[in-house]
Amino acid sequence: MENLFGFISPGILSQILVGLSRTVILFIVSSGLSLILGVLRIPNVAHGSLYMIGAFMAYSVSHLFGGGTAGFWIALILAPLGVAALSFLAERSLFQFLYEREHLMLLLLTFALSLVFGDLVKLVWGAEYRSVPVPFIFQGYINLFGGLPFPIYSFFLLIMGPVIAILLWLLTNKTKIGKISRAAAVDREMVGAVGINVSWVFGIVFIIGCSLAGLGGVLVAPTVSVTLGMDHTLIMEAFLIVIMGGLGNVWGALLGALIFGLTQSLGILIWPQFGIVFPYLAVVVVLIFRPTGILRSTW
Amino acid sequence: MKWLSRIIFLSVILLFVLCTFSISHAANTIKVGIVDTYTGPATTFTNDVLDGFKLAVERINAGGGILGKKIEYTFRDEKFKPDIGLAMAKELILKEKVDILMGTINSATTLAISDFVKKEKVPFFVTFAKSEKIVGEKGHRYIFNMNEHTEMAGRAAAIALAKKPYVKYWIAGDDYEYGHAIADAVWSNLKKIKPSVQKVGETWWKVGEADFTPYITQILAAKPDFIIVATGGSGMVNFQKAAKATGLSQKVPFYQHTATELSVLAPQGPNAPEGVYGTANYFFYYPDTPENRAFVADFKKAYNRNPRIGALYGYMTAQFIAAGYKKAGAIDREKLVNALEGMSLDSPVGNLEIRKCDHQLLIPMYFGVTKKDPKYDFLIAGNIEVIQGKDYVPSCQEVLKLRKK
Repeated sequence: MENLFGFISPGILSQILVGLSRTVILFIVSSGLSLILGVLRIPNVAHGSLYMIGAFMAYSVSHLFGGGTAGFWIALILAPLGVAALSFLAERSLFQFLYEREHLMLLLLTFALSLVFGDLVKLVWGAEYRSVPVPFIFQGYINLFGGLPFPIYSFFLLIMGPVIAILLWLLTNKTKIGKISRAAAVDREMVGAVGINVSWVFGIVFIIGCSLAGLGGVLVAPTVSVTLGMDHTLIMEAFLIVIMGGLGNVWGALLGALIFGLTQSLGILIWPQFGIVFPYLAVVVVLIFRPTGILRSTW
Repeated sequence: MKWLSRIIFLSVILLFVLCTFSISHAANTIKVGIVDTYTGPATTFTNDVLDGFKLAVERINAGGGILGKKIEYTFRDEKFKPDIGLAMAKELILKEKVDILMGTINSATTLAISDFVKKEKVPFFVTFAKSEKIVGEKGHRYIFNMNEHTEMAGRAAAIALAKKPYVKYWIAGDDYEYGHAIADAVWSNLKKIKPSVQKVGETWWKVGEADFTPYITQILAAKPDFIIVATGGSGMVNFQKAAKATGLSQKVPFYQHTATELSVLAPQGPNAPEGVYGTANYFFYYPDTPENRAFVADFKKAYNRNPRIGALYGYMTAQFIAAGYKKAGAIDREKLVNALEGMSLDSPVGNLEIRKCDHQLLIPMYFGVTKKDPKYDFLIAGNIEVIQGKDYVPSCQEVLKLRKK
């Protein structure tokens, strides 16, 4: 087995797989962020909070249904819908009146919302750590190359990633709303001038983007402790990924997430004490050579 | 215009009454100011400190208070920010005129406040911050440490680990001060007690890391005998979940300070990994003594949950304040400090002493390993080895040498 891969050692292969599974959640969350950034021009700092709320909702739903496998599958559907409902409220009551404002104003609003959501989570779920068990069929691990363990749940993530990517591609390229939203991203006024209700298109895109954050939260929940503050680290990484990939470009988010996830897992292999530095180094390198991101920014 | 002058007259009288009332009120109570983090993830620990403190205060007040005075407390949320914490401590001391200050979970805030109370000569009870500097190099007459600090935790773990056959150690942890301090303390003490141990490598990840799998596969590839995992906060649970998912907990044993604590094990339910070594100051099920059972029953009755480590810190802080004033015989800060030095009190975990030389509370440490128990729907600590406070606290000479620097 070890010779099969020539000069690539089993350690590297296993780190690549681990890195890819890590990429999935980063991609799902940052694609939502990028979608909103691209079409609505909102730098949504509250995106991380929605991810946290998704995870907490996953906890509640899975506990409501006995905390077992069935609970997880129901949570996978209900929690993103719950986040969608919350974002629908936020969009209709706040954002829809502010699309024409400056970015700074929108940034402040989303920052305020992230604080509100943070306290909301504390009010509803309390400050305890919460945990969502890994669904029974994904429990345990298998030994990959050279006996290094790989959690079965990560395989599930590896399948979810491409599925979401394909669904997003279908949504943006094959549906009417996707086409309108792409057009609106380029020229909002023109789309409005041909008689399309831009406000509702924006609303729907906002909700889709936010529910992606919720979905990311559900998917991450079985691997971590669901807790206050889990939004902070993620939102920073998601913004870096979006900036690296090209603002508003969903495929840029995919590319950015791949670079981020892989440099981290391979960096650990090269220099374990300073493994955390590598993804940020990658961001710096990318931005030196392509200041507007790897793919075309819609801004 | 008669009504207007009447209203003004009435309100002046009312104001006057209120003022005199609050002044007389202030003189008849002992005021404790609490500065701690009540927003964000740290709340899971600080709520217990506050609730434990409240429980004791209610009891003391119901029993007639101290020297005829009731304890009154106000608390402030420092939002895990040292500058806010310091501003609040100043406000509590200068404006609210509190007699005593307590808190915080944030070491940086604690050190900032410590500097201030030293000048103001206000006793300050530290109830969760883990930096060894608090009573070490930055220690002074007015600071009291009611919990273990990183150096103590490291020594306790090293004492227990030295008896185990492991030789090749890997060190991993959260890349921030607490993580490094715990890891350094365990490792330097272990090396001292058992010089044959070797360090195979180190891994550090960022605080809040969500996915430990890449780190774990890398550690496993190096085949260490044992891993010292220096995580804090939610990282404790995150690492245990990853250890379970990757089978690490069955392959290589590992240690985390507070791994066996209720706040870490209860959320994971029956899915927490078995065989994880940990140290903690308190369990609601251990020691199984009448004192502890009574404390747990009282706490449960008041708050409908099991007390965790912070509850003991908060509870004992109130007890020491009460006993200190009683011994001092007056509400006087200097006399209180003198009275508390070397004082010992019974607690749910046995007799606890505030050491005279550095004001560190000597509290037993329980080294144990996670195991399933049919009585609970979560894992608990088993095979508990008790390490007495005096055995794992740095000696007075060591501390005083640090303070001179």
